[in-house]
Amino acid sequence: MTNTVTWARVKSPWVLHFNSGACNGCDIEIVALLTPKYDVERFGVKLEPSPRHADVLLVTGCVTQQCAERLKRVYDQMPQPKFVVAIGACACSGGVFQGNYNVVGGVDKVIPVTAYIPGCPPRPEAILDGVVKLLNALNPPKPKKLSKQEKQALALKAEAEAKVVVAQPEVVAATQQVKPVIEEEKTIVK
Amino acid sequence: MIDIWLILRILIFPGFAFILLLTLFCDWIERKFEARIQNRVGPLVAGPAGLFQPLADFIKLLTKEDIEPRDAKKIVFRFAPLLAFTIMVFAICFLPIDGASVLSTGGFSGDLIVILTFSTIASFLMFLSGWASANPYGTISSARVLTQFLGYDIPLFLIALTPAFIVGSLSIFTIAAGVTLASGQTIPIILLAPWAFVLFIITMQAELEKDPFDVPESESELVGGVCTEFTGAKLAFLHLTRDVQIVFGSALVVELFLGGPYGPVFFGLPAFWYSLWFVLKLLAVVIITEYITTLFARLRIDQVLSANWKILLPAALLSLMATVALVTWVYPLV
Amino acid sequence: MSNKIDIINVVKSKLGDKVQIQLGQLGTAAINTNNGLHRDVLKALLEADEKTGITAISGVDLGVNLGVLYHVHTSNAFVTIRAEVPKDNPKIQTIVDLIPGAAFHEFEVSDLLGVIFVGNELKGHLVLSENWPEGIFPLRKDVKATEVKLNPAPVEEKAPDMGKLVKIIIGPQHPALLEPEKFAVTVDGEIVTKVEPRIGYVHRGIEKASESRTYIQDVYLVERICGICNACHAYGFVAAVEKILKTEVPERAKYLRVVTLELNRLHSHLLTLGHAGLEIGYETLFQYFWRDREPIMDLIELTSGNRVYASLMTIGGVRRDIKDTDIPKIKTTLEDLRKKLPFYRQVYENEPSIKARMRNVGTLSREDAIKLCVVGPVARGSGYDIDVRKDDPYEAYGQIPFNKIVYTEGDTWARMNVRMDEVEESINIIQYAIDHLPTGPFRIDVPRNVIAGESISRNEAPRGELFYYVKSNGTAFPERVKVRTPTFANIPSFLKTAIGENIADVPPNFVSLDPCFSCTDR
Repeated sequence: MTNTVTWARVKSPWVLHFNSGACNGCDIEIVALLTPKYDVERFGVKLEPSPRHADVLLVTGCVTQQCAERLKRVYDQMPQPKFVVAIGACACSGGVFQGNYNVVGGVDKVIPVTAYIPGCPPRPEAILDGVVKLLNALNPPKPKKLSKQEKQALALKAEAEAKVVVAQPEVVAATQQVKPVIEEEKTIVK
Repeated sequence: MIDIWLILRILIFPGFAFILLLTLFCDWIERKFEARIQNRVGPLVAGPAGLFQPLADFIKLLTKEDIEPRDAKKIVFRFAPLLAFTIMVFAICFLPIDGASVLSTGGFSGDLIVILTFSTIASFLMFLSGWASANPYGTISSARVLTQFLGYDIPLFLIALTPAFIVGSLSIFTIAAGVTLASGQTIPIILLAPWAFVLFIITMQAELEKDPFDVPESESELVGGVCTEFTGAKLAFLHLTRDVQIVFGSALVVELFLGGPYGPVFFGLPAFWYSLWFVLKLLAVVIITEYITTLFARLRIDQVLSANWKILLPAALLSLMATVALVTWVYPLV
Repeated sequence: MSNKIDIINVVKSKLGDKVQIQLGQLGTAAINTNNGLHRDVLKALLEADEKTGITAISGVDLGVNLGVLYHVHTSNAFVTIRAEVPKDNPKIQTIVDLIPGAAFHEFEVSDLLGVIFVGNELKGHLVLSENWPEGIFPLRKDVKATEVKLNPAPVEEKAPDMGKLVKIIIGPQHPALLEPEKFAVTVDGEIVTKVEPRIGYVHRGIEKASESRTYIQDVYLVERICGICNACHAYGFVAAVEKILKTEVPERAKYLRVVTLELNRLHSHLLTLGHAGLEIGYETLFQYFWRDREPIMDLIELTSGNRVYASLMTIGGVRRDIKDTDIPKIKTTLEDLRKKLPFYRQVYENEPSIKARMRNVGTLSREDAIKLCVVGPVARGSGYDIDVRKDDPYEAYGQIPFNKIVYTEGDTWARMNVRMDEVEESINIIQYAIDHLPTGPFRIDVPRNVIAGESISRNEAPRGELFYYVKSNGTAFPERVKVRTPTFANIPSFLKTAIGENIADVPPNFVSLDPCFSCTDR
């Protein structure tokens, strides 16, 4: 059952585009994705008008002070499960505008981000690549089919490691999302 | 006494499962056709040639979190989408699909009016769901839905009466069977009243809220339209209701004008061939309406209303009068 | 007025010794006034020429005083009126009663520099956010960007009940707008009665940031004011700095700059024409226009290496040359685009749904266009024939023949047609420029420290006249960079034309302005 659900979620990501203070460069590349040359509808991606309908939030722009509050509100309005993609150098870290008086600097200072797509602006192919990689990451990893030698090598390695007891650090699973600690006041007041 | 055959007919074919699959298939046809007109490819990845895209959309929406605004009218908000969907499917169950309809073998006199009423009730439930969602965009959009479908219902009824006049009966089965000429051949109504067919397609376009009569859903002013505030399963059923309305409207065109499921039977079961002809004719109508959608821009609400009251309603009346005149005086001579 | 200097002589004769006139500075002339005589100078100019209007109002921090520069354009001259106010009492008389289009400009100077315009005191902020602390003006030299402490976000008050009027908020997140900005539209039924804008969502503080970066770094910074008209921004800054340095770029660089600027105009107009289709629900037209825009993006990538940010302008010329092997590809792509234009013209002429949605929508009369000082296709669609490429030729535009496109209807349809015809003109200009490309160097060296001085530059961006004022102080960092973008000048016209129309007409009307809020807010 979960396989079907994951399949449906991977094949039908509806996106909402939010501009949090961008120069328009990334935004026209996102709109260009809908046009015949790149045609993102092949992957089932639809540009939705309302936050309530969307799964993926595409954020562009270095977040300005005025947009920070609105960005948080739009993110809260989206139903779970939801993902955030920060598109462009400005959304990743503030870009050229880092340090300006009206700029928060980076989307991850306001909401948790799942994927970063750098570039100024990233080409439509790069945005598409990022979105597809995000979708494929939702699928649980398939176990690799090992050949006989690989299996033997693995068995020997496991034996050797079992003899050495070392305090291992806690390993965080690759698919687990790390949520940055956000304190309400500090994101807006510098 | 439980009739197993009836239950199978209701649930699987030509009942619920068939209608659901047909709806998803028509959605796929629409999206591919629109993409092709726009020089694009359309859904490609979900299943072979993107066939499972509408199914993936539906399943994904069912598993999303369900958010209910604090100020929404609870009961209407929760049940209107599902109720609208149920009524539309129920309305389709009266149409002859494989020679007989889901519920009966011969229909009853007046079932044309019954199913048109059901379609009106479903549209009214869509209006209610927008109104109950406590969202300014939903409220304005639902007011537009109401104005539009109530206005266009009048020419719809009038033009739907035209085939009834020609055949002399209000039963869909009789209308779908067409007119039997003196030579013994049956011809579909479209050949006798082609003007009514054109007007009906235009009115159906407005009833289904497709371009150029797309006003209630206009993204550029009203964000998401009637379903702005809905998420999860309710949104899935609202979308599905809209798609079922398109299937219903096209099926009505097929039954009233194109001769229903009847067509040449080559070998074997007539029921199989009737279903095949029904589906083919339905797809043809769906493609025609989608073609009109891609060709035009969206009209303003006042232009839509003036098109209805100033152009379509007089045309519907004229068409009815012309048909009555022709039936009384000209056609008996043929 | 056939000669530019005539209007200066008129001012001289009226006001005599009360003002100092410096010919050739900051345009045709700079007029220094004291004691609030700026209104008298403006009145003299208005009486002499009815097409006088405000291009921009620059505020400068001069240390003890705040300088207020009024940049005024007339039919064929460009005059700057200088005034100064002391920092501890920064009051100056307003000019909105003389020129209504100056309202936004004054609001911005008072927001960012703290100048109080007596007679036009406005509450709230224009570009700064709601949680900006009172009394701190970012463009003053003593304010450091990183040390400003912001207030917590204010609680939004519930709107008062307005009876049967409904207030619809368009934005900041809205499918019609690519960018965030808020318009509170008050409707009575379906008719719009008032539009209140709130801009500043994209204010990134670029003017202040440019003061702490070198001139070369600033070229890349001001380029990113707007991704769509980026070449014009870069050119505006670079031209102003070259005027301070009194350098003359080589001929080849001038022609290459024209090619870049016109390619920029091509992609921007095709973008707007497609976006307008999206607004009126005409997705097919949107897809077709953007499909035809892709070859132009390929050309921009061919000449500069990047699809959107060409980054070709630099102080002293252009950064790259066009290879001779690329020229045939440029020509064939442009010819292919030219062949598609008759189809689109036919669509605009004959398609009934476009005419139903665009004709007589958002009509702006010629008098209103002149009074509100609109620029670009908005002005040219209303019969007001201004075009900086013809009125004040820069780079190689003086030597290239092309037509000025003017329509008189003044509605949305006319503005879209202006842009469509300008696409064809741009194709002609690029082909002429490539055919007559002079040989020689494409770049010269300039010193890193720019001598103290100030200058302006104007160029015709796709949306209208783009104005730059640059002041240097002898170091490697500019003293002040002021940008006045075309959308900033055009927004007041939208506030006027939307009133009395259907709410459904607001999106097409708005898109016909070709708004670019990242330009407006900077």
